[in-house]
Amino acid sequence: MRGIFFIGLGILLVNVLPAQAAELPELHGFVEQAYGYRISHDSLTKHKNYNMLEQRLQLKTRYAIPGENFLSAWNGVASFKGDFLLDEYFDTTGSFDLRELNLAFSPDSIIDIKAGRQILTWGTGDYIFINDFFPKDYVSFYIGRDDEYLKKPSDALRVSLYPKAANIDFVLIPDFTPNTMPDGDRVSFFDSFQGGITGRDSQSNAVKPAFKAKNMQYALRIYRNFDSTEGALYYYRGFDPSPRSYLDEANQQLFYERLDAYGASLRGPFSSGIGNVEAGYYRSRQDPRGDNRLIENSLFKLLVGYEKDMGNDLKIGAQYLYEQKLNYSAYRYALLPGDFSWDEYRHLLTQRITKLFKNQTVTLGLFNFWSPSDKDGYVRASCAYDISDQWKIVFGVNVPWGEDMTTDFGMMKKNKNAFVRARYSF
Amino acid sequence: MRKILIFFAGIFFAGNAWAQELSVDQIVIKANNRSYYQGKDGRAKATMVVTDSQGRRRERQLTILKLNVQEGGDQKYFVYFHKPNDVKGMSYIVWKHAGKDDDRWLYLPAMDLVRRIAASDKRSSFVGTTFLYEDISGRSIDLDSHELSARDASYYTIKNTPKDVALVEFSYYTVKIDKNSFVPMKAEYFDRSGKLYRTIEALEVKDVQNYPTVIRMKAADLNSGSNTVMEFSDIAYDAGLTDNIFTERFLRRPPQQWLKE
Repeated sequence: MRGIFFIGLGILLVNVLPAQAAELPELHGFVEQAYGYRISHDSLTKHKNYNMLEQRLQLKTRYAIPGENFLSAWNGVASFKGDFLLDEYFDTTGSFDLRELNLAFSPDSIIDIKAGRQILTWGTGDYIFINDFFPKDYVSFYIGRDDEYLKKPSDALRVSLYPKAANIDFVLIPDFTPNTMPDGDRVSFFDSFQGGITGRDSQSNAVKPAFKAKNMQYALRIYRNFDSTEGALYYYRGFDPSPRSYLDEANQQLFYERLDAYGASLRGPFSSGIGNVEAGYYRSRQDPRGDNRLIENSLFKLLVGYEKDMGNDLKIGAQYLYEQKLNYSAYRYALLPGDFSWDEYRHLLTQRITKLFKNQTVTLGLFNFWSPSDKDGYVRASCAYDISDQWKIVFGVNVPWGEDMTTDFGMMKKNKNAFVRARYSF
Repeated sequence: MRKILIFFAGIFFAGNAWAQELSVDQIVIKANNRSYYQGKDGRAKATMVVTDSQGRRRERQLTILKLNVQEGGDQKYFVYFHKPNDVKGMSYIVWKHAGKDDDRWLYLPAMDLVRRIAASDKRSSFVGTTFLYEDISGRSIDLDSHELSARDASYYTIKNTPKDVALVEFSYYTVKIDKNSFVPMKAEYFDRSGKLYRTIEALEVKDVQNYPTVIRMKAADLNSGSNTVMEFSDIAYDAGLTDNIFTERFLRRPPQQWLKE
């Protein structure tokens, strides 16, 4: 179905572009070599010594629609971004990852439309997403790829309206794209079917919602500024992007339960820095009373954050996240003997330090997750050096740790790595 | 100088024989207003070449859109990065406020992420060049006390001493201001020991739509031996920029008509 969508978009573009020698758009991108060495060997996964070895070529271009036609009159811009990847971890012959192919235009002075494959992000958290249900790639995050790859593209229609009172973003996603979660081949994880940290042996699989009208996802954001402070309201109707519910225990099948989410955020100047607060209520539509042991409970999440510029190119930030399962007693009551039981509360603290050196060509970054309730954490540290306008090299480490093998970071503890990426941009 | 767009109502002052010399405050206000606040708005493409002490060069190219909200006070900036290639497509908005911290937003297109930037330190490098943020968006004249240290046929020389030395790295700086155009031609910064360590110089001034405009300027860091030459092109004043350009909408979807490649 997606193929048809892109062919349609292609035909539209071809017909609108003038046949006479249109100026070719500039092509930019990079080539990158990346290697991630496992600090703690993991014999559960395909390669016990490393978890990343790949070459990547990214190409991107933007093309403002020229000529005399409705798309140029509407300031139409076509964007393309694609990655050719040689992923030697899986001995593949190469793959192509289409990250963006979309058309943006403004049919009216207060309307923007973006249709096609696109990256979507909103919300106020730093690596923490409460009201952003757009797909993410946590495997890329843990092995040390560029931050860009934390976000996966969606095939979506985004309509933005800008009346005087407030700005409105409405996103329609016809086909569901799940988060990329550890599945054991590259990154080991806690597999509840196996009852322990599992690698390639995992038989667990997640069943995607079918492509049909009632499975469409809708995301809405209404936002505006109050002086220097930004306020936003969010609504999402769709699915949990991570498979947290059980479809068929015998066949080790998980699924993405239906979800409604309501949220709000504020962000603005606070105590000579930037403060933010964001809350979300997740209503688990297939388990509204919370008494189904197989389906994720409804949730409440609250995030408070602060960032400050200390001067001399030093910035610090901190966040606190509170999570609560809302029908916990019903969930506990429904559990069967032998079931794993998840906690009611989760508290997570994060801290970020960024310092630039040598005329901002060297960036030292440290990001720390720490959960006192889960007794786990995750240290991300990196050093990036812009050797020239073209060459950049990044060294870093990913150190997830934890006492328990069932918690978010604890289950990742065998995936500690040290990585290096060298990139040439053009 | 130390300004990204220099505006000056040349015609108004041309041939005006001053009956009496101006006070130092009048000179400073004129230079500041002529430098930052002439025209309702402005647009320019800035190309900056950073050269370090070993002769290695880096290039930055960006389009800057500016809107004056209030003369001598609030302004809005939109910055779009053309070069280097790894930041191409990023855009940046600043709401400059007199008397409180600026509001800044950065848009990272690769993640579709609008990030709010905490930026209270205006004396940090502007996009990795020898220019500082304050050189680009202006240093509030209320932060320094000013004294006329010299005056000759062509220039006023103003000595500026910070009221709070803890906030800055210099002990004072001097600015040489052209007596006719009020364009600052050279600034020299002195450290705590009184040693000159930083200069900013207007290399070329040209009339654009009757506004004398610095179209080439150089910042030099005498301690590190690095310097940056900034050159402006595609300059337009009173271009008709509107307030809504300086919002999240256009961060995410840069205003094509103002961003010539």
